[in-house]
Amino acid sequence: MLGIFSDKKYGIYLLSGIVLLFCGVYVLYPHEEPADYNRDIKPILNKNCITCHGGVKKSGGFSMLFQEEAYSPNESGKRAIVPGSPEESEMIHRITHPDPDERMPPEGDPLPEEKIELLTRWIEQGANWGKHWAYQKPQPVTPPEVDSDWVENDIDRFILRKLEERELEPSSRAAKETLLRRVTLDLTGLPPTQQELEDFLADNSPDAYEKVVDRLLDSPGYGERWAAMWMDLARYADSKGYEKDGPRSIWQYRDWLIKAFNEDKPFGEFTIEQLAGDLLPDPTNQQLIATAFHRNTMNNDEGGTNDEEFRVAAVIDRVNTTWNIWQGTTMECVQCHAHPYDPIRHEDFFKSYAYFNNTADEDVPSEAPNLKTFEREEDQQSLEEIKKWVHQTADSQESTEKARDFANLVRLAEPKIHAHSFDQIENGTITSTNSYLAVEHGGHARIKDVDLTGKDRMFISYRTDETSGVVEIRKGDPTGEMIGRWDIEDDAGPRSFDITSIPITPQEGLTDLYFVFKDPGNEGYVNTIEWVLFHQSLPGKGKPGYEETREKFYTLLNTDEVIETPVMVELQGNHERTTRVFERGNWLVHGDTVKPGVPDVLNPMPEEYPENRLGLARWLVSEDNPLTARVTVNRLWAELFGTGIVETVSDFGSQGYLPSHPELLDWLALQFMSQHEWSIKKQLKQIVMSATYRQASNVTPDLRELDPNNRLLARGPRVRLTAEQVRDQALAVAGLLSDKMYGPSVMPPQPDGLWQVVYSGLEWKTSEGEDKYRRALYTYWRRTNPYPSMIAFDAPSREVCVAQRVNTNTPLQALVTLNDPVYVEAARGLAERILEKAPKSTEQQLKTGYHLAMFQDIGTGKLEELKNLYRDTKAHFEQNPQAAEELTGKKDLELATLTIVSSAIMNLDEFITKS
Amino acid sequence: MDIFEELRHRKLESQTRRHFLKKCSLGLGGLAFAAMTGCNPFSSSEGENAQTMGSRHPLDPKPPHFAPKAKRIIYLHMAGAPSQLELFDYKPELQKLHGKDCPQSLLEGKEFAFIEGVPKMMGPQANFEKRGESGTMVSDLLPHFSTIVDDVAIIKSMHTDEFNHAPAQLLMQTGSPRLGRPSMGSWVTYGLGSENENLPGFMVLVSGGKTPSAGKSAWGSGFLPSVYQGVQCRSKGDPVLYVSNPDGIDRNLRKKAIKAINEINRKEHEQVGDPEILTRISQYEMAFRMQTSVPDVMDISDEPDYIHEMYGTEPGKTSFANNCLLARRLVEKDVRFVQLFDWGWDSHGTNEETGIDAGFRDKCRQVDQPMTALIKDLKQRGLLEETLVVWGGEFGRTPMQENRDGQEMPFMGRDHHTEAFSVWMAGGGVKGGVTYGETDEIGYAGIKDRVHIHDLQATILNQMGLNHEELTYFHQGRDFRLTDVHGHVVKDILA
Repeated sequence: MLGIFSDKKYGIYLLSGIVLLFCGVYVLYPHEEPADYNRDIKPILNKNCITCHGGVKKSGGFSMLFQEEAYSPNESGKRAIVPGSPEESEMIHRITHPDPDERMPPEGDPLPEEKIELLTRWIEQGANWGKHWAYQKPQPVTPPEVDSDWVENDIDRFILRKLEERELEPSSRAAKETLLRRVTLDLTGLPPTQQELEDFLADNSPDAYEKVVDRLLDSPGYGERWAAMWMDLARYADSKGYEKDGPRSIWQYRDWLIKAFNEDKPFGEFTIEQLAGDLLPDPTNQQLIATAFHRNTMNNDEGGTNDEEFRVAAVIDRVNTTWNIWQGTTMECVQCHAHPYDPIRHEDFFKSYAYFNNTADEDVPSEAPNLKTFEREEDQQSLEEIKKWVHQTADSQESTEKARDFANLVRLAEPKIHAHSFDQIENGTITSTNSYLAVEHGGHARIKDVDLTGKDRMFISYRTDETSGVVEIRKGDPTGEMIGRWDIEDDAGPRSFDITSIPITPQEGLTDLYFVFKDPGNEGYVNTIEWVLFHQSLPGKGKPGYEETREKFYTLLNTDEVIETPVMVELQGNHERTTRVFERGNWLVHGDTVKPGVPDVLNPMPEEYPENRLGLARWLVSEDNPLTARVTVNRLWAELFGTGIVETVSDFGSQGYLPSHPELLDWLALQFMSQHEWSIKKQLKQIVMSATYRQASNVTPDLRELDPNNRLLARGPRVRLTAEQVRDQALAVAGLLSDKMYGPSVMPPQPDGLWQVVYSGLEWKTSEGEDKYRRALYTYWRRTNPYPSMIAFDAPSREVCVAQRVNTNTPLQALVTLNDPVYVEAARGLAERILEKAPKSTEQQLKTGYHLAMFQDIGTGKLEELKNLYRDTKAHFEQNPQAAEELTGKKDLELATLTIVSSAIMNLDEFITKS
Repeated sequence: MDIFEELRHRKLESQTRRHFLKKCSLGLGGLAFAAMTGCNPFSSSEGENAQTMGSRHPLDPKPPHFAPKAKRIIYLHMAGAPSQLELFDYKPELQKLHGKDCPQSLLEGKEFAFIEGVPKMMGPQANFEKRGESGTMVSDLLPHFSTIVDDVAIIKSMHTDEFNHAPAQLLMQTGSPRLGRPSMGSWVTYGLGSENENLPGFMVLVSGGKTPSAGKSAWGSGFLPSVYQGVQCRSKGDPVLYVSNPDGIDRNLRKKAIKAINEINRKEHEQVGDPEILTRISQYEMAFRMQTSVPDVMDISDEPDYIHEMYGTEPGKTSFANNCLLARRLVEKDVRFVQLFDWGWDSHGTNEETGIDAGFRDKCRQVDQPMTALIKDLKQRGLLEETLVVWGGEFGRTPMQENRDGQEMPFMGRDHHTEAFSVWMAGGGVKGGVTYGETDEIGYAGIKDRVHIHDLQATILNQMGLNHEELTYFHQGRDFRLTDVHGHVVKDILA
């Protein structure tokens, strides 16, 4: 990489070392200027030492990750670093050793003199240990004083100061047309309309641009564009992943996201609801749906897989994703060992893991727990009536809580005991393909340690072909006291598993329950059990209306007219899990027990916060957290400028890149928290209102040489559109795009035969009507086979969180926008719009076509090229009129010719680029 | 027509007609050649062309770490995992135990995908004989393959960590059982680039009616730029998605349109100066070339009859045989990494298709002739020396008979097995007529020269001139590599 930020660490400080060397100042003479740990020392240690003396290897018993370790005697009994005394410090001794066998680093040339000098000086001055910049709270900064009328807001002061330091000037303001297209694509993911352009051009008021920005932030497309961004982070998909990759119904979460962005839900609430909405008091359906964020982890339905192994994999993914998104920290490193570079310990991973290890999901095929939301109004009504009934009939002291419990029983049905938890199975099995319990006549199975205190009923989710047989529930052993009995009936309900309920004799304390299966004369399995659940019976037995309410209760449990969304449910009581360290990351080898907690290097967890996900979420968005606001504003910045102030948006650790404008980052972070009160809309507005954002994006050869990646922002952004924007823009410009929002994902046309997935009957059924033309974020996302044109434009498969897409430039992209029938249809759509607006002159048509796509007038040189193409194409179709009809379905040479021209326009670099 | 005649014919053909398939240009000399032969239909001047190609394209050829033995790879992945006990790993002792209860010592502390309780042992369901001059043991289920054993090295002591298909395939192809890592083909094209600018450097062919369990991730680029991901070629519809022009647009018209697009892009570049525009221009040129090179190379109907007979190919069908022939055609064009997946080897015995005593035999018949033909064909063309061919599944199968859900199965089947399986390699600097490693007397586990997946990967990279410890990519704060922190080159099988 060329240019000013070529070295991750600033080269400028090395310069001082070189100068010193030049003057002949050497090791023993301390220099006036204090050596700074973060700026001067950590880069040297990270580059040369920490691979062997860090979190993974501690060669010679010496590690530089934590201060106390670095100062302690190592295996040889010597101390590598003796603050104040380079002479006694083994490290200095070794890096200056004349014998190559003794000298450090062990391979390659000795350290350059200036680095040795820096290390020596640092130890001389007391070897002050510093905290990595990103782990220190951002400090208030005053925007630099600059004298320029270029400045629009304070952001520009930081940018301009840096430019001035390098004797650079900002670029001129982008043309109004360019700016409108840029800001509309950035804020809504869509191009503007011609009307919007006319309005903007006609508005000469000083706040014309601000009015545009406000309008865009208020438009429904805003939420769709930013939801699409967040869906990569949330690894949103409509399928479960892994081998079978079956369907998952989780689109309500996508809709929640769109609404959350459109409502401008403050980032704190946005965070808390997604990470811990279920732990909020009396959570609403929407707050539960928000927690589907972390149910986007994959679920393995492959036959013969261990449910616990993949439950653990999902929890690990939740830990990594949370740290990645909110803290820009690569927690996955710490899964197996202490962080190699950052001061985070191995057990810190499991402290984080402990927060997420207590939810009810267990990698079962149903993906339970699922929130049921009822499609029919009358079902919703029934739920309310049940709540009311419980409220009225239950003991008044706990009636509110009880009513809530019953509502949750209907909408969540937890805590389930899944079939894979049965053991001591005789004459039966846990089916290896999907982990159901199947037992033959005379067999039995056990559930250990059930807490039946206060529980007098049991739900059983089951499937059977039999109409005979009985299951006896016995206590202690297979011949023990019978506390329940279930006469099997045919499962006649609409769902593949029916839920039935039987009475159970309540027990005190923990009880081992044996399910004894009897069905003489039946040679197969008596039935198949998915899960069981123990609960209290509906109160008010004997009172008028009881039977009716009870009937409603069972109808709701078994109705199939529901939308189910996987959500988080916290385990309680004896269902709670204990978290233990996995030795070297192996989930089968358990070490010490750990409690939830956060790494010492970050802000302490306040004692009053609950020791669960809610506490963690609140900690993340507390103003004391040094990372969340920085990481978030940096992400927004990267979305707008193509590169973050910290280029490594998911790594703010010591191996990440340093910020290009550290003061600006801190200033923005503080603005985001206090000034904007975590409002993303306000934050985005502030950035797009800056003169920095409004610059033209043209680049001179000099500037390109000096700053190829535009880190100094002496010009505006020029970035290829995202996969979603490429599609949405094409459909919008063609006049085809549907503005329908929300609902189940759709299947726009894709080539036949793409879905051939092992052991799965799932089919791509092309959507009808306007669903063919919905915005890209509504496209059905199957992880093993995502929509092909989206993948071509660098969309990830969404198996794991992707913080930053890598933009590529490949021939496969050209093939998509040239040949994919979706884009051919879009070209035809644009051609029809041209004919509508400019029916007569060819030149006018070409100008119109370009303007409809690019929202600016075409230059003469480019127009000439389009004219040539038009003329050649017209001649071609005149000779081959049937080809024209094949292309458009109409005997219309002009339409066909303009379709080719439109396709060319829609393949231009400038069209698929935001500039 | 024999091979020499055919090659001479081909040479003449290439001199007389436009020939997109050959590597068009490598560096400036190549570009001049390209302009002369009309390879680049858009070149208005040589200088401009050189500029548009740039030197920074991520697929430009790169030097290996050291002199390579192989320049190309064909990897034949038998998805579902074939039984080594019926093909390569001859275990007469197991025959004696057939039908007896499996001893507890083999079950304690072990986990299997489907086996429950105490299964029965199951003897080999095929007859073995010594083949070739080397006397390599191969079963009668592979009569064709038996004739080329002297060109092949068989590793009998492979082992893996994963006993479910998807994670095991990922471990085999990406070095990690979890999703998100680059596949071997991506690593190789990342490390070496591509020597053909008319075709992708990493191409994937799938047969058996299903994509492998790990899905597209088995040839994904993980955290590497997506330009390194495998491009799947299909036998039905477009061989590469969207490679054919829409109805009503012929090649001539497409050329005109691309010319206009590129001319306008050049003008845009003059105005705004973004070098990305130049890359886009070259990508449109390559797309145009791919529109002929891909269908050409994928159309096997121009192969002579004796080649079709040799492979057992039928033009227009989706089959492993067709894919083997395509693989040869692709490496002939210097495609760097050709990855085949053939689904249908998951021989559990739950139905006829998956019976070791039934469907498994059909699968053997389907692959035996074409994979043998592939080796012979590469050899007669002088390509085998520089082409590494690898054959194997993602794990092995148990010496015990499967008893899914504790019940008797309708057909004879074997469960997934991590402790032992066989892989063979040929060409690309691998010794012929060699068997490496040994399993115990019932074929349960390797007892000598065990080879882990990461060792196999290190060996494959080594043959390509890549040091598996040096082929790294910086991601999320550290260098990643295909072999994680493991892997030893299996030197004993190398010539």
